[in-house]
Amino acid sequence: MEPSAREEILQKLKAAPRQSIDPRPEMPPLSELSLTKEELIKRFTERLVEETGIVHRVKDYGEALEKLSEIAKAEGLKKVMAATDEVLAPLDLLSWGKRNNLRVMTPRDFPNRESFRDAVFDEAEAGITGADFAVAESGTLGLIHNQDQARLVSLAPILHIAIVPVERLVPVYEPAIEQVFGKKEKIPSQFVFITGPSMTGDIQGVLFKGMHGPRRLIVILVG
Amino acid sequence: MKIKTEQFTELAKKELANSYSSAFLKLMPPVLNMKRDIGLSTFSDIPAAQAHGAAIRQEAMARLPELLEEFEKNAIANGAKVFWARDAREANEYILQLAKERGVKYVTKGKSMVTEETGLNELLSQNGIEPWETDLGEFIAQLLHRPPFHIVGPAINVPVEEVRDIFMAKANLKEPTLDPVQLGYAARLFLRDKFHHVPMGITGVNVAVAETGTIINVENEGNIRFTKSSPRTQVSVMSLEKVVSTMKDALHLIRLLTRNCTGQKLTAYVSLDSGPKKKGEIDGPEELFIVIVDNGRTKIYQDLQGREALRCIRCAACLNICPVYGQIGGYAYGWAYSGPMGQVLDPLLLGLDRTQDLYRASTLCGACKSVCPVGIDHPKMFLYYRSKDVLGDSYFRGKKRPKSEERFFRAWARAVKQPWLWNLGISIVRPFINKNGRNGIISQMKGPFAGWFRKRDFPTMATKTFHDRWKELKK
Repeated sequence: MEPSAREEILQKLKAAPRQSIDPRPEMPPLSELSLTKEELIKRFTERLVEETGIVHRVKDYGEALEKLSEIAKAEGLKKVMAATDEVLAPLDLLSWGKRNNLRVMTPRDFPNRESFRDAVFDEAEAGITGADFAVAESGTLGLIHNQDQARLVSLAPILHIAIVPVERLVPVYEPAIEQVFGKKEKIPSQFVFITGPSMTGDIQGVLFKGMHGPRRLIVILVG
Repeated sequence: MKIKTEQFTELAKKELANSYSSAFLKLMPPVLNMKRDIGLSTFSDIPAAQAHGAAIRQEAMARLPELLEEFEKNAIANGAKVFWARDAREANEYILQLAKERGVKYVTKGKSMVTEETGLNELLSQNGIEPWETDLGEFIAQLLHRPPFHIVGPAINVPVEEVRDIFMAKANLKEPTLDPVQLGYAARLFLRDKFHHVPMGITGVNVAVAETGTIINVENEGNIRFTKSSPRTQVSVMSLEKVVSTMKDALHLIRLLTRNCTGQKLTAYVSLDSGPKKKGEIDGPEELFIVIVDNGRTKIYQDLQGREALRCIRCAACLNICPVYGQIGGYAYGWAYSGPMGQVLDPLLLGLDRTQDLYRASTLCGACKSVCPVGIDHPKMFLYYRSKDVLGDSYFRGKKRPKSEERFFRAWARAVKQPWLWNLGISIVRPFINKNGRNGIISQMKGPFAGWFRKRDFPTMATKTFHDRWKELKK
């Protein structure tokens, strides 16, 4: 029997001359590792603002809801798609929506991919999600995708509003990655780092936001 | 994509006369270099950070077969299906088959250099499946049937008028406009409809992680995220050298990739997939296929020097710093990979005989080497290819130089080693050489050296050599 492509490729690679492994040169730790909590918040905010993200800091969940209402009013939001993740759960966005006279949809309202896609592409004026991590090093959010964090909520609507408790702020990517990928049986189907809104510079180098995904990213930092 | 690496000189001449390209080349590389400096300033010790990247890729190459096996095992455990393809044809046929079996009419594609290398789009189109490139630059390049001008901005040099016309004709642009932002939004609307209903998405892979079986994509537009979130079926194509050992290694490489490439601390989106969606998830692929493509790489891998080329992570820092790329832009290189990156990769992937001008179109200044985050020594590679080519190396298909050249250099070698012969030769050729001179300078010459003098001058030869004068003085 002819060897499969897999066997053939691996066999060729294994038969190739061996090479020793170069030692890893020492690398000084990233500067973020020595920052205090307030400094980390400052760095996170500065770096995200560089990428045109908007960051609001609030004291607690109550203030977070007020901020959310303020944003909804300023943007004239009528219909939003919200995730059902653990960060958002205590906010009870469904009641918040009723009080503020706007419709809050969640991916759970939809029986299948098609109907969910129709709503998130065509109806939702904003996507609201919690974030599992905020990373100071580059002003980045980390989202674990699972049944309570559908992928398209933070992607398809033109505005993405993310809520992050400050306890979830880490200096660099490694601690976040360690938590997400540390236990093999718990690795999510997708994990995503988000640093600012969708952007491009592909026509004449003119930078603009909102190429395919959100045009704006608003982060509410709680605590 | 049609391979035009043999037409390098011709294409380079054409591009030198292209005012749109040259206007962009004056602007884009310096801006990107400046941004790169800012991006890298986040490292307290930049050379150490780059050297660390080089060590990661060196180790990954040294351990390539075991890392691929580990990656495959973990990817399968995550629920992905892994397919190995010996060459472009096998990879393309497999993907076509997947699309046909699922009755797919069109696919959306995230930017993938390896599928440009394999020419996947052509095969899909021939079989009635529309492949939509969804990165804005790739989308424009695809509509215009152009190769990428720059790996990061494939159509960045295309004049807005041309973008307007092609969007009016093919992308539902209703009101003519020359505003890049409005044009971008027209593309957004057009492609959004594709993302909304897409049944199958195809992406490349920036880094594959052995210890977790994860594939990682780095992007700014969100088109790759859509391509991995909306459809039921996801196909991710990776050339086999993309794998690294650990997630920690992958993260460091991504830092280096984005900071060397556009100077961003991180691109807008970095997505890490470990298998298809889990039960209860409403979006994300139900099935994830990972295609591992060889297409000549196991052959390159046999050669320890050639293997160094496989470290490349496609950051494009070498393009932006290269004085040759800075004059001619990406088209002249004639294939998917341009700049020093292409000059290092193409000769090994396509053969030394089809890429002769690529590895010669270098001043060996080493600017590319100085910025490379994975420690590729480009000038050394170019010299290696040149020597293999001159010797007619059969493994990498060196072409061998004409016999006359060999005879000339043999005679030359003999002459310069024997003073009497050298002196005799000089006294014979001096009048022939000096008759081309004007005011002590030779700026053109007929015959075999005409090319050398096209852009260079040379002083005329002294009528008396130093030795002649020395003898006279002693008298």
